[in-house]
Amino acid sequence: MSLRVDLIEGSRIAVLSLGVNRLRTLLTTLGIGIGVATLLCILGIVQGLNASFATQLSSLGSSTLWISKFPWVITGDDWWLYRNRKDFTLDDVQAIRDQSRFAAAVAPELGRGGSVSYGDRGLSHVHVTGTTGDYLTVSGFELQTGRAITDADSEYRKNVVVIGADVAESLFPHSDPIGAILRVRDLPFEVVGTLVRKGKFLGESQDTTVIIPFRTFLAAFGKRRGFEIGVAIENPDQLNQAEDELMSIMRRSRGTPADEPNDFEINRSEQLAKTYNQLTAALYGVALGVGGITLLVGGFGIMNIMLVSVRERTREIGVRRALGARRRTVIVQFLLEAMAVAAVGGSIGTLVGLAGAKLVASITPLAATVEFSTVLFGVGFSSLVGLLFGIWPAARAAALDPVESLRWE
Amino acid sequence: MLIEMRGIERVYHLGRSDDVHALCGISFGVERGEWVAIVGQSGSGKSTLMNIIGCLDTPTGGHYLLNGRDVAQLSDDDLSDIRNREIGFIFQTFQLLARESALSNVELPLVYRGIRARERRERARAALSEVGLADRMRHLPTELSGGQRQRVAVARALVSQPSLLLADEPTGNLDSGTGEEIMKLFEQLHAKGHTLCLVTHEPRLAARCPRAIRLHDGRIVADGPGREVAFAQLPGSAA
Repeated sequence: MSLRVDLIEGSRIAVLSLGVNRLRTLLTTLGIGIGVATLLCILGIVQGLNASFATQLSSLGSSTLWISKFPWVITGDDWWLYRNRKDFTLDDVQAIRDQSRFAAAVAPELGRGGSVSYGDRGLSHVHVTGTTGDYLTVSGFELQTGRAITDADSEYRKNVVVIGADVAESLFPHSDPIGAILRVRDLPFEVVGTLVRKGKFLGESQDTTVIIPFRTFLAAFGKRRGFEIGVAIENPDQLNQAEDELMSIMRRSRGTPADEPNDFEINRSEQLAKTYNQLTAALYGVALGVGGITLLVGGFGIMNIMLVSVRERTREIGVRRALGARRRTVIVQFLLEAMAVAAVGGSIGTLVGLAGAKLVASITPLAATVEFSTVLFGVGFSSLVGLLFGIWPAARAAALDPVESLRWE
Repeated sequence: MLIEMRGIERVYHLGRSDDVHALCGISFGVERGEWVAIVGQSGSGKSTLMNIIGCLDTPTGGHYLLNGRDVAQLSDDDLSDIRNREIGFIFQTFQLLARESALSNVELPLVYRGIRARERRERARAALSEVGLADRMRHLPTELSGGQRQRVAVARALVSQPSLLLADEPTGNLDSGTGEEIMKLFEQLHAKGHTLCLVTHEPRLAARCPRAIRLHDGRIVADGPGREVAFAQLPGSAA
């Protein structure tokens, strides 16, 4: 008999026996189901994060270097070390503007939170940025209407503001914000421009923001504040050369002794991506570990139930052998049955996992996408577990002596 | 000659020293179209002989030629194929698959022969009609009487048109009336030219066969017309 016939007949018997022991099948598949559900849920969330992180990261401006006292990713407890470094000055900004060959745009960035109001409308937890001209190029924001903050605005400490999309929508739902006077932390500012919506970064809106001139910020909210310097690099391929150049400009400008290490950091979005990838790799690892162990447990459950099934059906095996079934036919029959049991569990687990991922996506800021390949992986992998753990019971079934099996009570 | 047994031995190795000689030098032949009873008390070796005739077991010594082919040395797969093509089994306990309909049960040997579904169905229907169960094809074994179940089993044995029908105590689980029906069915099959081998401990049944072989302690003690062999005194035994 051909393998094709073995497969067809085996599938028929497998489906038949699933129907006979419905409750038992369901309970057996629970282990596999939970394993697959766990895997898919975590993978779905990680994939969602990956997808949104990639687009979000590009919104940071991939060709901008951010010079700061702090590295973006702090490991260990060096925070105080970074904090005690000397603050930057506008002279540093000017030095980069004057000396850098790679910089296309340079802008300082001061920031703090605060509330913004217009008439009886208000919005709290708004990110207030103090900066100079060129900030839009550096930050990746785009103007929707009006104009940007200029160096002159900063120089003359003008009370002008460019508002993010969230602020514009909340405070000016029905009117044109340009020319309106709104209050930022209780100080009056004239709106001169609005920004195009940029979207979320790690679940946090980047559009709940207002931009005011740098010196206005210092005068209004305090002089002793550290800031970062954003440097947009003309050619993204020259980020490394640009970094070297900026390093020496900054060291000179800050008077860092030659025998001491840098007292500042040059950050770029690539570093975030790297850290992020390390984080998700760890998540992947945990997901695979947890899911793998659960699948292993589920696999033993299947092996157990298949051994029971072989025992229960010893006489059936004897009859089939007497009527001409070869050993291979019996093996295929029980392997397919084990795979079918596992696939049922895998399918249930897939549905639960997808639902779980969607649930997480809907109640947390985490995104979750489940790719079709993941679903295939879930069902396919559980079938594979069924196949592996079905080998031993199937081999036992095939090794039964027909004479003995026929006598089995 | 369909069956040719030459000095068949079957030894079971139970322990280091406990070898059981179930069959000791069995030799006989069966022609096509014969109806032979193998009769003997329990422990006489008739079940072992039946398993060897049916290629469920292989002898530990001697030669067994089925259709001129020595099956003693064949592989497991080859034995499976021979059982499928050459032997039609009829068991005392029917051995029907409980979850399958009468029709599916009868189709089973043809499934293992790789015959297409439509032809399988037709041949299974024909076999069931032949044993008088044309109106019970869709029934599960549990929905049939004992006699009807054994008829399904006979149909299953017939469907692959085997060289030999091998019946092991086929009336053992039936009342005398139904048992009689099955014996009548065998008589009809014999009349149609089928080769039958009936394994039984009942001399009454063996007496109805044209030929009977009596086994005792793993040896043939009588071989002749059923009526004579069935009730013959064992040599050396008390009257």
